[in-house]
Amino acid sequence: MTETAPVSTPTPATTPSRFRAPDATDLARVAVFAAIVVVLGLPGGFTVFGGVPITAQTLGVMLAGAVLGPWLGALSMGVVLALTAAGLPLLAGGRGGIGVFLGPSAGYAFGFVLGAIVIGLIVHAGGRKPVIWRTAIGMVVGGIGAIYALGIPIQSIVMGLPLPETALTSLVFLPGDLIKAVIATIVVTTLLRAYPRAFRRVWAPKRVASAEGDATRLP
Amino acid sequence: MLTLYRPGTGWLHRMPAGPKTVMLLALTLGVFLLPPVWWSAGVAAAASVVAYAAAQLHDGALGMRDLGRQLFALRWILLVMLVSQLLFLGPEPAVANATRVTSGLLLAALLTLTTPTTALLEAVERGLGPLRYVRIDPQRIALLLTITLGTVPVLARIATDVRAAQKARGARANLRTFVVPFLVISLKHADELGEALASRGVR
Repeated sequence: MTETAPVSTPTPATTPSRFRAPDATDLARVAVFAAIVVVLGLPGGFTVFGGVPITAQTLGVMLAGAVLGPWLGALSMGVVLALTAAGLPLLAGGRGGIGVFLGPSAGYAFGFVLGAIVIGLIVHAGGRKPVIWRTAIGMVVGGIGAIYALGIPIQSIVMGLPLPETALTSLVFLPGDLIKAVIATIVVTTLLRAYPRAFRRVWAPKRVASAEGDATRLP
Repeated sequence: MLTLYRPGTGWLHRMPAGPKTVMLLALTLGVFLLPPVWWSAGVAAAASVVAYAAAQLHDGALGMRDLGRQLFALRWILLVMLVSQLLFLGPEPAVANATRVTSGLLLAALLTLTTPTTALLEAVERGLGPLRYVRIDPQRIALLLTITLGTVPVLARIATDVRAAQKARGARANLRTFVVPFLVISLKHADELGEALASRGVR
């Protein structure tokens, strides 16, 4: 009931960051997230279940979309792809060069961009503060669904293997990706409490308090 | 920073990055578009062998040592493709598809083998020139790419530090407990980087 926020100031626009041109700090954050994706793809990573080494690279994609939002997240994935195309071995397992975009895994690489957009749109839907269930949905739909939706058809075309069989072979990666979606959700929820500055945005106030009548009716 | 580039003086090394990219991409596409029959496996394999031999790589074995090294790097893709296609499609398409995709990738790898990253980045910046007409500044993109290259080693060091700190406390390597501190420190670095850029006139 007690509204501590200064009532006199008009409620900020729902998402001030949405149509703002990126400034120097945005540029730096985009670069840092691109580098995070690269670092998470470096070898000597982690063994998750039963000693199967998985690359954490798609975890970086999920976090970029959720933390930077759809458009800056997509830009930072674009940076990773551009540097990869320029010949740096940045993708998981030290893959790089223009060949990445012509080989069987090309679609998954482009899926990084689409995935970051979808995740950002879902996690920050309506400019509201992320909650755990919406974050989880975003991670699964964007971080797995969108990446597979681009990756599997292109893999099928490049390899000349029919779509259902290609999808079947891609199922191997599903458990690892689900684990990463869970981790990404936990990380984003923790970050919201521990370091909300990370998101660099102002969320729309809760529905109940946002009605203009409420503010004037306060004592 | 580690690159896939191998220094050399052959004609492919001396060719400007832009035309070389177009030429090698065209070759790669040509190999990719071969039909999945026996003879195209032969054509594709021959194309990559001839290309590596003609590229003047000077590796002491007429390019074959570099070819072998690239082929070794592709071994997992090759294996997955061969096995899955043998299971689902039979021997002829399996061998033909695996060969044409592999040799397409080998041809594309010639670009990164013979062109320094800086030359490719400059070519990217030139290629982005037309973006000026949709009010995107190509120099800003080039700056972004350069900052990212400089940031990768910084974040790799942060990652090592976080892991070392956790090891010192007796914690096992765990992705979940690693990511949060790594992200917070990285994002603080991003804020500092943003201030540094702003103070140098980047808006």
